[in-house]
This record gives sequence, structure tokens and C-alpha cells, in this order.
Amino acid sequence: MTAMLELADLTKHYRTKHGVVRAVESVSLRVEPRTTMALVGESGCGKTTIAKMILQLEQPTSGAIRFEGQDIATMDRAALRAYRRQVMAVFQDPYSSLNPRLRVGTIIAEPVLAHERKSRAELAKIVAEVLDVVGMPANAARLYPHEFSGGQRQRIAIARALALRPRLMVLDEPVSALDVSIRAQILNLLADIQTEFGLTYLIISHDLALVEHFSSDVAVVYLGSLSEAGPTEQVFATPQHPYTQALLAAVPLPDPDHVLSEAAAMGEIASAMNPPPGCRFHPRCPHAMDICRTTPPVLTGAPHAAACYLPPHALRDAC
Amino acid sequence: MLLSVRDLQTHLHLKRGVLRAVDGISFDVAEGETLGLVGESGSGKTLTGLSLLRLLPKGSGRIVGGSIKLDGQELTTLSESALARDIRGRKIAMIMQDPMTSLNPVFSIGDQVGSPLRNHDIARGAALRSAVVDVLQRVRLPSPADRLGDYPHQFSGGQRQRIVAAMAIGCTPRLLVADEPTTALDVTIQVQIINLLRTIQADTGAGIILITHDLGVAASLCRRIAVMYAGQIIETGPVRAIYRTPSHPYTKALLAAIPRLGAKRTRLVAIAGQPPSLIDPPSGCRFAARCTQRMDKCAEAPPTVTLSDGHSAACWKLV
Repeated sequence: MTAMLELADLTKHYRTKHGVVRAVESVSLRVEPRTTMALVGESGCGKTTIAKMILQLEQPTSGAIRFEGQDIATMDRAALRAYRRQVMAVFQDPYSSLNPRLRVGTIIAEPVLAHERKSRAELAKIVAEVLDVVGMPANAARLYPHEFSGGQRQRIAIARALALRPRLMVLDEPVSALDVSIRAQILNLLADIQTEFGLTYLIISHDLALVEHFSSDVAVVYLGSLSEAGPTEQVFATPQHPYTQALLAAVPLPDPDHVLSEAAAMGEIASAMNPPPGCRFHPRCPHAMDICRTTPPVLTGAPHAAACYLPPHALRDAC
Repeated sequence: MLLSVRDLQTHLHLKRGVLRAVDGISFDVAEGETLGLVGESGSGKTLTGLSLLRLLPKGSGRIVGGSIKLDGQELTTLSESALARDIRGRKIAMIMQDPMTSLNPVFSIGDQVGSPLRNHDIARGAALRSAVVDVLQRVRLPSPADRLGDYPHQFSGGQRQRIVAAMAIGCTPRLLVADEPTTALDVTIQVQIINLLRTIQADTGAGIILITHDLGVAASLCRRIAVMYAGQIIETGPVRAIYRTPSHPYTKALLAAIPRLGAKRTRLVAIAGQPPSLIDPPSGCRFAARCTQRMDKCAEAPPTVTLSDGHSAACWKLV
């Protein structure tokens, strides 16, 4: 089966006056149709850069992005136009992602107008339909973004992304700017429209509980490289990379009897300008060995893969 | 009792009308105790913290009723100059959410950490310098003596939050108000700051008010929790009572709305609707419009019912 989206050795370096920032380094991933792939990692790890390359907001330094088997770098104009209408994004902050000077109806109609000739009546119908899908009244189209709460604005952003009936949606921290009681509404909505429209999701989040709840597959990114990837259930039940283990141990649970692991409280992420040699995680790793300091480990294993020299069982015993 | 707040009312006088941001709340904090003020944005938790220090928005914010007693001393009637001299930064100090905006980018960190000590005449000259180094050591900033002349942008997010904490604890305050101290940080750094707050408390015996929307962070740090909704405390109790036997429908709904790490994957129970406007709040229970157990009686303000030692909630269902 062809993957909906495939990243092959995707790399992005930024040249700055201080040197080269290696934001994304040789990331390979497959996202199957109608699944949800989550990218998790700390701020600055490169997860948003990966999303930007998929959305063509950044050009990769090397490597390929394939959409249904076709490399987007070699697509002609027509194919690229078709690609762009099939890939949509929902961003973190619905206060900055919606133009405050446009009415909601115009905001939702904009992507449609960019791709199709539609009469005013046809546009109004599309807007009303997607507003209904996201649980908003049709008269919302006449109002401005500031007249809505954060949760409602995120619904509007989702409606805009849905208007062209895309196949792949990139969700960049879609609920982290929202209040706890509103988050569940939006997550449930996203799950519902995924089933209804057969969508494939790539979600970026730093919230591990959310990722475990929402995604089918997960890729853990550390300093631009994948440290672990696989089916969400397996990765969360038996994390194989010490970084994944540290991340999971660091999540405070809503349970007063849960003791936060002290082992998780180690060091800080290194700079992508001067990433450490060998395994990029080794300066923070409690299990680092000599080889980790010199030779980068390769992501191995399927479907659950980890880039670590320690055999999984040794790691389990050590923890 | 270290801090006793009774029937505190703080209003914001806006163009649109008077916003009853904090509407008659009462709570105590004992020495060495951590109280969690938990709620969503707009619930009044931050304005409660700012009321204690009388740092309300100039012109619009005003404490209009109630009492705040620190070690028996009434603060609401204290003059601004006496408050600035004896209380603010001296006996009550605050750690703000975003270390990037609570540090001044054009002053060195040595200067900023030293300023409360200078202002309160605690140390000068060489003694000031060694006091600053000492307090930076206590928050575990690496090699503080060499970094006094460095500026905020030269530190990582976690280090900046340590510097902000150092500013707050320099004068050994009796009460620390920590407003979302870990929200801007990654999980692995969050654990470090949670541990730091614990250490500070163990060392100084200060009372801590932790303001947060994160039920996980609250569970890991607090001894008691007060849940705020629409300007009021709707449930308060020992941390175990709140998480094990939540009694107010809002607390229950909030706990059901968050995905939990390691829990079986089920559909999240969303809370429908959104909080009421506090310019013209409903006269009865403020959660009633969103409550699944609403009764006719809820049109009247619910009484606060004591459920067990120190655990109480304001709901007609419990009468």
C-alpha cells in the first residue's frame, strides 16, 4: 500500500551568521491513510520545521516528501496545486491564525476561492456546511473572529481547513492554547471529522497524555532526529529509548499519589547549532556508553523502532 | 495562620462595565503549605494572586471588599507605601508564568536578582554580590558567580525560570505566589522547577500559592486545592479528597475531560458551552448552564456544604 505521506531522509539546515543550525536531520517516516501520526518532543526539537516543510512553508535542504508516492519536489504546477488543496493545517493559536479584519464566512471561503471558481451562493453553501460540521451556527459567517471564544475560533480554523475537503491535515498543537474544559470538545470534534471524512492527521504536540489518547502512531523527535517511532500503544507501553522514558516519567499525573521520577530531572536540550557527536541525547542519558559519544545510533526495528545501542531488555532492567 | 483571605472581591472597571473577576472568595494558607488555585483562564485565579500583592491593573483593578491577613496583619487597608516597603517582594513574592517577559532584557541577571535585596535594604556592596551568588546557587543555576553579568537572552527557558525564582526568594518571603510557573516550559524542565519549588519550601518554610490550570502539576505539588470557576471557589479540600472524591460537578467534569497517561482510551467527556461573562454573571450557580445535573434550585446561589474535614463544595446536589 502506498503511504499517504512519506518522509525520506528529510533534512533542514539553516545558515545563520553564527553557523549552521541542524534543525531536522535525516528524518524518515510513513503515515498511512486514515491514521494519526504524532510528532512529540521538546521545543526547538524540529517538529514544527518538519510540518512547515510538508506544508511547503520551508524547502528541505535534502531528502524527499512523498504524497501518495509522488515526490512533491518534482511535481509540476498542476500537481502542486492539487497537492496544496489536499493538505491543510490547523495552528496552535486561533487568536493569531484568523485575520481579525475578515468576517468568518470570508475566512472560511478564502482557500476555496484560491482553488475554484464559485458563485456567491455556492460559497455560502460550502461555508454553512462546514460551519455545521464543526458545530457552529450558520449565522457565525457574518461575524468577526473577536466575537468568538478561543474554542469557537479553533472550530472556525478547523472549518477553514475542511472547506476544500482535504485528505491530510497538519495539526500543530491544536488545543494547547485552549482551556482544559474546551480541549476535550475540540479533540472529540477532530476525532469525529477524521472518521466522517476519512482524514489522515499529522499532529504536533508536547502533551504526551493527549498524544497517547489521540494518535495511532508516534514519532519522538530529539534535536532534529527521530529517537523512537512506532504504534502509539507499543511506544507508550514499552518505550525503548531513554529519552522517551524520561519524557514519560516527567509527565505529572492528575493523581496525588503519583511520584514524579527524579531520573527525569536531568540537564537541558543541547543546541542544534552544535549538536553533540554520536547520539544527540548522550549528554543527558543515564545509560550513555563509549560508543554513544562517537557514533550516532541508527533507528532500527519494525514497526516499533528506536535509535539506541542499548538492547531494550537491558534498558528495562536498568530502570 | 500565615495567610487568611476572607470574602475577597476584586473588580475590574472596564468600558463595557464592571467585571467581577474575584467574587467573594475565602481561603487560608498555613506556613510550609502549598495551596493550589486551580481553574481555567478567566476564573479569577491570577487576579486573586495579584490582589494579595495589590498589583492589579492600574486604573481599572480594585479590591472592593473582604480582607487579606498575613500573619494577622490586614493588607487591604495598608497604604501603598507601607505595602511596597514591608510586604511586596519582602513578605509576599511572586513567580510569574513567562520568564521571558518577567525579566528585563537590558539589565544583567545579577542586577535583577539583587534589586529586591537592594530595595529592601537587605544587603549592599560586596555583601549584596555574595547574597546574589548564594541565592542563585540555591536555585541551582550552574556557576552563578561567573554569570552575574550575563543577560536574560543568554540563558535557556528553564534557567530563566530559576533566575525568576531566585529574585522571588532573595528576601526569604513568608509567602510565594507562583503563577503558572511551569506552563511555558518543556516537561523535562517542568520536573526540575517542580522539584525546585519543593526544595525552596523545605528550606525556607514559606507558604506557596500555586496558580495553575494543569491538574497534573497541582497534584504533584499541592497539599490542598481550591477549584475556581467564574470568580468563585466552588470546591476546596485536601489534594486526595479533590482527586479521589471530587464532589462539585465542575471538578468532576474537569477531571473527566483530560486525557490521562496510561489510561484506557475512551472518548473524552467534554464540558459543553463556556464560562459565563463576569460583567453580568448569573445570580444562581455559575456553572449551572453547563452542568449535566442542573435542577430548578440552581437558579439560586448554592450553599457551601462541608463534606469532610477541610473538604467543602458549593452545590445544591450536596445539600
